[in-house]
Amino acid sequence: MTELPPLTPQFVLVAAALLVFGVDTLLPDRDNNTLLAGIATAGTLLAAGTAAWFLSAGTGDAQFVQFDGAIIVDALSLFFVVVVGSVGTLVVMASHDYLDDADSVAEFYALTLLAATGMTLMAAANSLVTVFISLELASLPSYVLVSYLKRDRGSIEAGLKYFLIGALSSGVMLYGISLVYAATGVMGLPAIADTITAGTDFVGVLGLGIVMLVAGFAFKTASVPFHFWAPEAYEGAPAPVSAFISSASKAAGFAVLFRVFTTAFPLDVIAGTVIDWSLLFAALAVVTMTLGNFAAATQENVKRMLAYSSVGHAGYVLIGLAALQSGGGAQNSLVLGASMMHLLVYGFMNTGAFLFVALAEYWDVGRTFEDYNGLSKRAPVACVAMTVFMFSLAGLPVGAGFLSKYVLFAGAVQSGFAWLAGIAAINSALSLFYYSRVVKALWIEDPRDDLSLSGQPTGLYVAVLAAAVGTIALLVAFDPVAQTATHAADVLFAG
Amino acid sequence: MAGALEFIPAIPLLPFASFLVALLAGYFAPKLLPKGGAIPGIVATAGSLVVSVWAFVTVSQGEYIAESIYTWVAAPNAFSLHFGVLVDPLAAMMLVIVSLVAFLVHVFSLGYMNDEGEGGLHRYYAGLGLFTFSMLAFVVADNLLMAFMFFELVGLCSYLLIGFHFRQQGPPSAAKKAFLVTRFGDYFFLIGVVAVFATFGTARFVATGEGAHAFPHMAEQALAAVGGEGTMPAHVAHFLDVVGMSAQQWFSVVGLLVLGGVIGKSAQFPLHTWLPDAMEGPTPVSALIHAATMVAAGVYLVARMYGFYALLPTVLAIIALVGGFTALFAATMGVVKDELKQVLAYSTISQYGYMMLGLGTGGYIAASFHLLTHAFFKALLFLGAGSVIIAMHHNENMWDMGGLRKKMPVTYYTFLSGSLALAGIVPFAGFWSKDEILYEALIYGAGDSPILLAAYAMGLLAVFFTGFYTFRMVVLTFHGEPRSDTAEDPHGVRWNVKFPLVVLGVLAATVGLVNMTPVAEATGLHIEFLHTWLAGPEGTAFSALGYEHYHHLLESFAGYHAADIAPFVPAAVSLALALGGAGLAWLLYSGPAPTKHTEKLGAARTLLYNNYYQDEYQVWLAKGVTLPLARGADTFDQGVIDGIVNAVSSISLFSGGRIRRIQDGIVSHYATMLTLGLVALLVVFGVTGGWF
Repeated sequence: MTELPPLTPQFVLVAAALLVFGVDTLLPDRDNNTLLAGIATAGTLLAAGTAAWFLSAGTGDAQFVQFDGAIIVDALSLFFVVVVGSVGTLVVMASHDYLDDADSVAEFYALTLLAATGMTLMAAANSLVTVFISLELASLPSYVLVSYLKRDRGSIEAGLKYFLIGALSSGVMLYGISLVYAATGVMGLPAIADTITAGTDFVGVLGLGIVMLVAGFAFKTASVPFHFWAPEAYEGAPAPVSAFISSASKAAGFAVLFRVFTTAFPLDVIAGTVIDWSLLFAALAVVTMTLGNFAAATQENVKRMLAYSSVGHAGYVLIGLAALQSGGGAQNSLVLGASMMHLLVYGFMNTGAFLFVALAEYWDVGRTFEDYNGLSKRAPVACVAMTVFMFSLAGLPVGAGFLSKYVLFAGAVQSGFAWLAGIAAINSALSLFYYSRVVKALWIEDPRDDLSLSGQPTGLYVAVLAAAVGTIALLVAFDPVAQTATHAADVLFAG
Repeated sequence: MAGALEFIPAIPLLPFASFLVALLAGYFAPKLLPKGGAIPGIVATAGSLVVSVWAFVTVSQGEYIAESIYTWVAAPNAFSLHFGVLVDPLAAMMLVIVSLVAFLVHVFSLGYMNDEGEGGLHRYYAGLGLFTFSMLAFVVADNLLMAFMFFELVGLCSYLLIGFHFRQQGPPSAAKKAFLVTRFGDYFFLIGVVAVFATFGTARFVATGEGAHAFPHMAEQALAAVGGEGTMPAHVAHFLDVVGMSAQQWFSVVGLLVLGGVIGKSAQFPLHTWLPDAMEGPTPVSALIHAATMVAAGVYLVARMYGFYALLPTVLAIIALVGGFTALFAATMGVVKDELKQVLAYSTISQYGYMMLGLGTGGYIAASFHLLTHAFFKALLFLGAGSVIIAMHHNENMWDMGGLRKKMPVTYYTFLSGSLALAGIVPFAGFWSKDEILYEALIYGAGDSPILLAAYAMGLLAVFFTGFYTFRMVVLTFHGEPRSDTAEDPHGVRWNVKFPLVVLGVLAATVGLVNMTPVAEATGLHIEFLHTWLAGPEGTAFSALGYEHYHHLLESFAGYHAADIAPFVPAAVSLALALGGAGLAWLLYSGPAPTKHTEKLGAARTLLYNNYYQDEYQVWLAKGVTLPLARGADTFDQGVIDGIVNAVSSISLFSGGRIRRIQDGIVSHYATMLTLGLVALLVVFGVTGGWF
């Protein structure tokens, strides 16, 4: 019996991307939108499905080292392949209608698939070199995707800003990598840990390198103060792309962040000598969630509100690193696992919310809260889905967002970070304010007289509903997710 | 016979299926639905009944079950939330009661709803199906959280069914009142559930399997540790430190919180006011929900977690006093009511008062016994009333009836059987169970807990009123001469009404024989079957749910000790009182044209007619106290809190504006900010880490 290679999901994504290119090259004149969307959907779905199958079959219990230690496949990487793959599926399905009259749709799907490949590789990167390369593989297609609407000034501007900030952050990160290499002389993450344990003379250099690495990851996860690109890019980008970047790309950023810091710089080795990075992440978490939520509360534009709320959620997820303790054992696994659960759930609810915005853009109803007034009279089903997303994002028990936040905060409390959980809870309460503004606009306000919705965006509708069903289904069947995530964290700490 | 217990989930799920059928078919294909959903409901409840009886037989052979079915959230190192089933003798008995009454009520509904040509039948049967599902799932719940969820669901069904005739004025308002008043109690219950989780880390009723804990048992360990035996569970000790109370105090608080839900649902003083209004619902609904089952949920819950309450003498005394007071109080109000269902409503409140009295005075078996007998005879009385109401073309005023005895003999004799049971006349069911409750109250009261004697006295006095209002009702309805044209020529009823009446009539007459304590005492025969049934096995995890264990807890923790009093004299006294009440009613109201003696009561009559101004004072509480308080809070909120919030929000808007100004769209500014942020981080951590 032959076995599938551990990197099958990544191979599937690359193959799908190449297939999309191939079809477009061979049949350049036909309207291939549906076919290409089908290929891309199949690719992302297959990747997510394979990863889920691997997880349930126990492939993630051990760490499969690939390419001489450059890449590793374990429960963590597979978990995030599921996240990226499912978000990718939703996004590609939704894009089919969104791109109906666009030119060169093949590039869109291919770039999405390549970016997804990069994100799944980020989750599997086990050496600073692969970390950097996979990060760039995810980022470069994203820049292009953000400016995909090339006749739209906003889209172009957003893409350029995203690219410039990205280039700066990549530079900082690369410099950080070189400093870490200078201090340790190795690139592999486990090897770095071994060198540090053995003792290094270059504490200052190592410390500078670590903080600069954080800067690179903070850019990818849109954490303060490296978040400036996020509101602009999310607002200007086509809404499905915003969904993709804010959910999948963020998740992948966290995946690599979790692996680098727990594997290369274990807290019990490094906290006393070089830097107590859990403190660093605690500071980032507090600033990120507070700033994200406060800024979201003052927005008029729904997409921009979602962009800041996405920053706020990055703050919650950072708790997973901030609440780690030296020798924490099961509590560390619980809180880190809780962050991963939240990212999975967030993948569904946030993608769904952005896709609803895509739906609104498709109907051309406008961008502000007022423009959404009374939409429920015209599109009740989609509005129910949006209500689920909003309440779930706020942490009310209509969706799995309630449980993932609950486990995350409870995990922080158990690890002795009650103050952090308290700040997160206050922020969460504040977030209910601006999320419910959307719900109020949808259901309570009266529609404008001339509000009429045209078109039958089947793919978009299906994607929005699938995200809603996912959000609710995770509430009911949360236990398998919780087990898998905690297990993935266990494997990570054990490795 | 193994196997029955594997089918336990089918007991609630069958009615759930009938709910879905009635709902979906009723909405999409009403033509296809036989009898508006009645047939699926009857089939489903009959199925539940068969499985329940099978489970009952299996349990009687000593096989119990407690297992998790579905884990909702299992967090390591924290509590898990799960659904599970627990079937022990108490639950098995309750399953049979609920499914039997539900089945009979479905059959009866054919006559009451279908034959009367009501509209919206699928809505009605969907409600009944959902209710039966929720109630059965509540009965088999193996933990407090699941119990709470289904407790709420039965409340919802009650709301939906009381308001069935939503186009009339009364029912929606009554439904709202029932929902709000019980919700008020459930609010405390919810806090109680959270408190149980926080204190014990589990909400299971019984611990089976590896590493499982049950909260009543942990509470017992904790209290024993306070008394110097064994060690206190670490989780409990930790939480008691947090609350800063002694174990006894805190557990009493928790017990009282849960009791809030019980008082609301079982219509105990002061949250009983919703039940008389709930009579606006269709009569079969009153029989099923507001007499035999849902109202029993509160009492059942106390019995279910009796291992917890038995540890807490203060809470037990409160339960006993509330129960005794409610029994008396409601019985006096029942004396003056003119409408048939109103009398029955107050009698229901009063009878549940007896059950609470029984539980509070340590009479676990007596209360369960009364729960059993009352379910049958009260369902019977309500269905009998339903039959009378059909006959009277939905006129419920007893002064317009009279003489129905000859016109509807089946209804009359079954109703009489139920009435004799209710009044507590030997040998009908109610006599045995009510007498046992009073007897237990007396012996424990005369033992070391004199406060129980007050509860006993109230319960005893209520026997007289019970006999009086019961026979006033019977005489006015069935005896004498017809006092209106409809009573001259009542509407006939069919088999579907008579069949449930006959089944319940026979049960009301005989079910008391399962636990004839005075007879057992006199003859020395072992005929206290219910006592044996509930005593519990020895040496398994389930022995913690048996009466033997509870009795031990009552003696060693609550300080209850039985005085040595023979059951004959108290039984004779209560029988004499019941006969006295019944006789007085007969004396006053028999004859062809009875007069309204209530006029003679003077001021007391006004007081009783107005139900002791209970509604008025609750409305006053709402309007006169809560509303000004809310206004004050609102002013405070508007002035102080909003002031702060406005300040915060203006700060945040200001800072939001700042952030916006920072986020000015110029990318070189972003690059600067980003770099400055990085430098700040580097400097802070560099200086504290000593890198430079």
